[in-house]
Amino acid sequence: MAFWEIIFYWVTLVIYSLAAGGFIYSIVFKNPRVLPRITLLVACGFAAHTSTILARFFATGHLPWSGHYEYVLMGGWFIIAGTLFVGLQNKSLRGLAVATLPLVIIMMGYGYMQNPGLTPMAASLKTVWLYIHVYFAWISFGAYALAMSAGALYLLKSRSDGLPVPNPAYEKYPSLDRLDELIFRYVVFGFITDTIMICAGAIWAKNLWGSYWAWDPVETWSLISWLIYGITIHLRVTFKWREKKLAWLAVAAMSTVIICFFGVNLVVNTSLHIFQVR
Amino acid sequence: MFKKLIKSLSSLRFTIVLISLLGVMFIIGLWVPQISLVKGLYLEWHRNSPNLVAFLDALGLTRVYTSPLTVTLWFFFFLNLSLVIRQRIPLVRHRISLSSKNIVDPEKAAGYSFSRSFLLPSGVGGGSIISLLRKKRYTVLGDADGFYGVKNRLSPLAFLIFHLSFFLILLGGVISVYTEFIGYLDLAQGETFRGEAERYNASPLPKFPSFGSTPAATFTVKSIEPHVIGNTPTSIDVRLLDSEGRSHVAGINIPYKTDHTSFVFKHLGVAPLFTLKDPAGVVLAENCVKLDVLQHKPDRFSLAGCNFTATFYPDYVLEQGKRASRSMEFNNPMFFISVERDGKKIGEGLIPKNGRLEFAGYRLEMRDMPYWVRFYVVKQRGLSVLYSGFALATIGVIWRLLFFKRELVGRVREKNGEWFLLVAGRSEFYKKLAEDEFVELLEKIIGKAVKG
Repeated sequence: MAFWEIIFYWVTLVIYSLAAGGFIYSIVFKNPRVLPRITLLVACGFAAHTSTILARFFATGHLPWSGHYEYVLMGGWFIIAGTLFVGLQNKSLRGLAVATLPLVIIMMGYGYMQNPGLTPMAASLKTVWLYIHVYFAWISFGAYALAMSAGALYLLKSRSDGLPVPNPAYEKYPSLDRLDELIFRYVVFGFITDTIMICAGAIWAKNLWGSYWAWDPVETWSLISWLIYGITIHLRVTFKWREKKLAWLAVAAMSTVIICFFGVNLVVNTSLHIFQVR
Repeated sequence: MFKKLIKSLSSLRFTIVLISLLGVMFIIGLWVPQISLVKGLYLEWHRNSPNLVAFLDALGLTRVYTSPLTVTLWFFFFLNLSLVIRQRIPLVRHRISLSSKNIVDPEKAAGYSFSRSFLLPSGVGGGSIISLLRKKRYTVLGDADGFYGVKNRLSPLAFLIFHLSFFLILLGGVISVYTEFIGYLDLAQGETFRGEAERYNASPLPKFPSFGSTPAATFTVKSIEPHVIGNTPTSIDVRLLDSEGRSHVAGINIPYKTDHTSFVFKHLGVAPLFTLKDPAGVVLAENCVKLDVLQHKPDRFSLAGCNFTATFYPDYVLEQGKRASRSMEFNNPMFFISVERDGKKIGEGLIPKNGRLEFAGYRLEMRDMPYWVRFYVVKQRGLSVLYSGFALATIGVIWRLLFFKRELVGRVREKNGEWFLLVAGRSEFYKKLAEDEFVELLEKIIGKAVKG
């Protein structure tokens, strides 16, 4: 890792951890007043996160596209960018960070334990398809993470609303109706970008490996994930699944994405998508 | 009975069951070693647990992606899809139809979740509202006494496009599988390939197409230049000269394409030119041997009855008395060679590029060290159909889910000397989003004068 990259990396992790702690505090101690300050803290962490990426870019000469560490560094950036963006559009959505921050912290910690060394761009990654495929993978992952967050928030808020004295910390969050629709919108956004990601990946695979589809474990799992989100959309549109059912589905479906991105490579060593520099 | 069967086969419940079962089959494919993907692992597993593997073989679970069960599930999936599309066509036609029947009273409109009334400022009449809606890309029928406006009216057609794209992908996939030739071809610098089927590697066996021919390409490998930084291969340039004298560059991510065939770079090796001489200096054998030694594994070759085991160090260095390579860069290429004759070791030693190794009176000279490449050669048709399917799937899903249909019905009414616009609206998917959009749109047209 480059010198400034290490510094900014740890600053990012510390700020994100403080902010995650703040969100948990605001819910447990029923104190919604601290939310704007925590959001500001997340924004500071995001600035440090961006600086980490820039420091690495100046050290390697390319954006962090390869290897587990680079993958989670950039993927985490997209998730936090998405969280801040939707929070900026709608203040009541700032609370989505309560679920996305811990996810990003775990991802970054995991990435750090993998291969954070500075490496040149591998030949297999020198193609325009990398940018299209990986960019859409990141934004679909980010959208699914936001859907999962909105789902978790829905479940927490609906439980709180059922109590004799609802937790005031949830008052700052969107209404259940709006959260319900948000879950669906993020799933749709993720599904569209996921479709583009899979199509772009197939075209790239044809050039790189000679086969557009090889039933590689990551390919297969991304198809499973795509089918699960496709089912989610059908269940919502046709069977009118909403509210708690949809929220649980959004939370559970995220597991397929996590398995696709991280889990497969933990248990299978035959994948062509090893996310490592070769 | 038949109708009941068709109804079951075309139900969305059945789709979900099929997709779930396909998902289960795919998950099995991830856990059970597949012959087509990890043959080595499968064979090792077969040796260790022959009964279990035989049982899974019998169930088709070691070839799960092409097993009869998976193929049957795919068959039902596409049957279900066809029936769903057939069922939905009248519904889609109804949804995109535009007629005066769509004009209904906004106060009594069934299925319209959004309804508001707006106080019209002076100078704003029904006509100007309709023309402003048209500016916002609404198709509007009727007049101030009753109108119907619709945006993205044709969006339901995208449902058909998205689902039909699956058939294109299936068709492209089937064509490509049945016209597919797959083979591995090892070519060293300077070698010419003329499309000879016998030149393909015997292992793995080439796959010949059910329909169509083997690749008819002819070219010579002019040069092979690998580029490595540290331990990372950063690029490889394989220059080819075709039969018409045209030059092509192939490499990682850049296959050489000709006659529906892709020559995909898969592997790099070194092909040193070895000459073996006897004690009198007479050449016993001379050969350019393709050695697969770049993954730190030794490889073997034979010359004039001698068996050689070669280990390659691209950037040779002696570290604490041990042979090693500083990096994968080709800075100081060196072979360590061990020689056997009749099962007995008769010599060993290092041999650099353009160097020699003396053993038991013999001399092994390395006169040159070019590279060789392994191409994954695949010829198939139907890719344009398949890619069209991908494109249509992407267009369909974007069109359907982003450019969804919004409908408004409204009329202008006078009450107590004031003019009001009554509207009701609905959208296909995002109720709240559409409501916000309707309010914003109408406020832009009419101003802030909104009444509940």
